[in-house]
Amino acid sequence: MTGTSSDREQLRPGLWATVNERYPGSMITKPDLVPLARLEKSLAQTRLTFVSTAGVQPKGTLPFDVVHPVGDYSFRRVPSTAEPADLEIHQLKYPTDGANRDLNVIFPIERLRELAAEGVVGGLTPDFFSFIGYNMDPERLERTLAEEIAAAVAADGAEAALLAPA
Amino acid sequence: MQRAIERRGVPTVSVTVARDVTEHATPPRAVFVPFMMGHHFGVPFHWDLQRRIVLEALDRLGKAERSGEIHDVPVTWAEARREGVAIERALGLRTERRPG
Amino acid sequence: MSLQYLKDAAASGDTEALIRYVRLHLGDGDEAKGRKEIDKAWIEALKPLLDLPPADREFIHETLTMKDLATLAHLFFDLHFYLVKQSGEWIHDGNL
Repeated sequence: MTGTSSDREQLRPGLWATVNERYPGSMITKPDLVPLARLEKSLAQTRLTFVSTAGVQPKGTLPFDVVHPVGDYSFRRVPSTAEPADLEIHQLKYPTDGANRDLNVIFPIERLRELAAEGVVGGLTPDFFSFIGYNMDPERLERTLAEEIAAAVAADGAEAALLAPA
Repeated sequence: MQRAIERRGVPTVSVTVARDVTEHATPPRAVFVPFMMGHHFGVPFHWDLQRRIVLEALDRLGKAERSGEIHDVPVTWAEARREGVAIERALGLRTERRPG
Repeated sequence: MSLQYLKDAAASGDTEALIRYVRLHLGDGDEAKGRKEIDKAWIEALKPLLDLPPADREFIHETLTMKDLATLAHLFFDLHFYLVKQSGEWIHDGNL
């Protein structure tokens, strides 16, 4: 059974337009392209990090601020050795029922550990990075949080980064 | 965010379910999956699919030629859900038919 | 609305723009839902008080006198979400 081409379309069509209509000026458009940083070695020799916008954090830490009308511009470190049972999600903007049953559908920490153990990936950074993607001040996000996470990712020795959701 | 990391010399790739948002944000590398929000790596307990999406994304790190490209992962939401339900039944996690 | 839009509205007294944003925020992007959510929160706040149960008024008094405006305003948003959650009719995806 093959799917029709519409099966490969995004399930919420026109999301950018919808959000930008309700909250004009909040959605990012970047006209320029950032030159690609090249992967220096093979994936099997590369240390990988994971950056999540899903609001995943270790249990017992101060929850991400999901009620604030302008957003939360902080990030958390999530040890790459953490078990899903030690983590929880705080965000209001998309369904978490799948993630509540199996965190890997949004934060594939166990899959990444497996790939590192198998040698498909050279290794993982000690921490992954987590924040909430919802925010009403994209300029502030770029100026502060984006730079903080980018600096932390580089300082932690990441040689490649996987990001989701994006 | 992704662009800031790339600018520091760390190659990046992201997974998106919102193609139009990603087309506007123009990250260096991205893969698109036609899945529900919050289910970027597929469905619960479908470890093969989750792994496959991770690998499709990581593959782009070496393969992507041009900044801003979005690569389609050849999978459908219907397949993912159907397989996921079968896996859950096999694991004994789903004993009756559920809607949706 | 972008943050600048909201700041301009606050500076010029455009209350309609500001409350519209609040309704969108509370209503998961739907202004009509947002209006209902505001009403719902107040109803949920009323219900537990009808029998005049004891409340920690000293804590409340201390909080209102000791805490700064930003914290109290933030708490107002937290209380809204807490109360609508109490109603059992949760319109948002995800978790608090």
